Amino acid sequence: MISVSQVSKSFGQLKVLDDVSLDVQTGEVVVIIGPSGSGKSTLLRCLNCLEQVDKGAISINGQTIKPGSNQVKSRDICQLRQGIGMVFQRFNLFPHMTALENVIEGPITVKKIPKQEAVDKGMQLLEKVGVADKADSYPGQLSGGQQQRVAIARSLAMEPKIMLFDEPTSALDPELVGEVLAVMKNLAKEGMTMVVVTHEMGFAKEVADRVLFMDEGRILEDSKPGKIFSNPSQPRTREFLKKLL
Amino acid sequence: MNSVEFIWSVLPVLLKGMVMTVQLAVLAIIFGTMIGLVIALMKIDQRPWLNRIGGLYTWFFRGIPLLVQLIFLYYGLPAVGIVLTPYSAAVLGLSLCGGAYIAEIIRAGIQSIEKGQMEAALSLGMTYGQAMRRVIVPQTYRRLLPPMGNEFITLLKDVALVSVITMVDLLRSAQLLNQTYFRPFELYATVAILYLILTSIFTVAVGYLEKKLTLPE
Ligand SMILES: Nc1ncnc2c1ncn2[C@@H]1O[C@H](COP(=O)(O)OP(=O)(O)O)[C@@H](O)[C@H]1O
Ligand SMILES: [Mg+2]
Repeated sequence: MISVSQVSKSFGQLKVLDDVSLDVQTGEVVVIIGPSGSGKSTLLRCLNCLEQVDKGAISINGQTIKPGSNQVKSRDICQLRQGIGMVFQRFNLFPHMTALENVIEGPITVKKIPKQEAVDKGMQLLEKVGVADKADSYPGQLSGGQQQRVAIARSLAMEPKIMLFDEPTSALDPELVGEVLAVMKNLAKEGMTMVVVTHEMGFAKEVADRVLFMDEGRILEDSKPGKIFSNPSQPRTREFLKKLL
Repeated sequence: MNSVEFIWSVLPVLLKGMVMTVQLAVLAIIFGTMIGLVIALMKIDQRPWLNRIGGLYTWFFRGIPLLVQLIFLYYGLPAVGIVLTPYSAAVLGLSLCGGAYIAEIIRAGIQSIEKGQMEAALSLGMTYGQAMRRVIVPQTYRRLLPPMGNEFITLLKDVALVSVITMVDLLRSAQLLNQTYFRPFELYATVAILYLILTSIFTVAVGYLEKKLTLPE
């Protein structure tokens, strides 16, 4: 489903991804952990072409991204992104649209789905993430947890095959983290292919098939959650996990 | 005739001039906004050659006094076979110049929208154009209102310059009346007051719109 092979990426002098390789199978849930600045966000952003890779190749959903892919017809990139949902740390809901409008925006504008159909589907999705009663509220009227659940529904509305989460609960007050994680756990149970950057170790233990540890642009460790938490192979991983607890 | 009677008697003529002033300002803000939006989008585009065209436009039209542009359009262009009516020269000059300032206003407005908004729109599979149209530009409306209101007031006042190309706006109609009656104090004081009334009405209207466009929190 996702195959990253020997990808490198620099911002100026700074090497942010250093020869990264990674495979994710359909239905797998992969959690990425690692210190701030280690390149986790950049890796996710490369997966849906928000950043360009310098070297290597990514194959995702049957499409291939190579260096210079941004110059490839942008229609291909739009096509690729439709199949990949992305959930951001800061939600990035559209503030001038209600929760429901946020959710139906993609289907209507991108997929040209009739409005009524999009609304019906959008309401189902809001129901699913537990914020149907807030359908007509603007993002500014919602709590962080509600906003993030709407953002997840917005991504799901495009019926993606893969969902990427970039620290989806880091900007939330602690008491709101649980409701967002619950939605994500549900998705995982339904068999969604997910790549999740998070430091919620409970989530990783419970639903991750694999946990990756990234440091300085490399994947240092790629193991089952049971193994990485009880007996990490790398001293750096152990150090990092100790600090986290 | 005392002053009040005199002003009352010429008021219809002045009001006709004022209508022309408002009309020119409204047309200039409409066309200027269209021009400004195109130039602003050029300036923030990823293609450098578009940036350069946009930059050239603002450099040119902000760098030459509007008075000089108007005189050139009306008195200069006929020499190369382009003859404009005073009205079209006035609308053209005001719009081209207004467009340059409005471009800067819109560009700043668009760039003030958080980067995550564009990324969220793109990651839904939108094209850059769809993202601009549906997500980014609509968010700038409220933020653009105050500076656009200022720009409209500036244009409203700049319209007075068109009197040099024989347009009968508010100021010019007072000048013409003065040639007949020679009562400059009453005439120009009335012009000043009419301008104040116009700008005040407009300031209040912008404030009202701003409140209406504020999103609920
Ligand atoms: N657009 C950018 N321009 C320059 N440097 C960047 C950019 N994005 C990220 N970086 C840098 O790349 C490094 C990795 O960033 P990131 O992928 O966000 O790390 P993480 O998500 O693991 O915290 C950081 O040092 C960050 O400052
Ligand atoms: Mg990050």
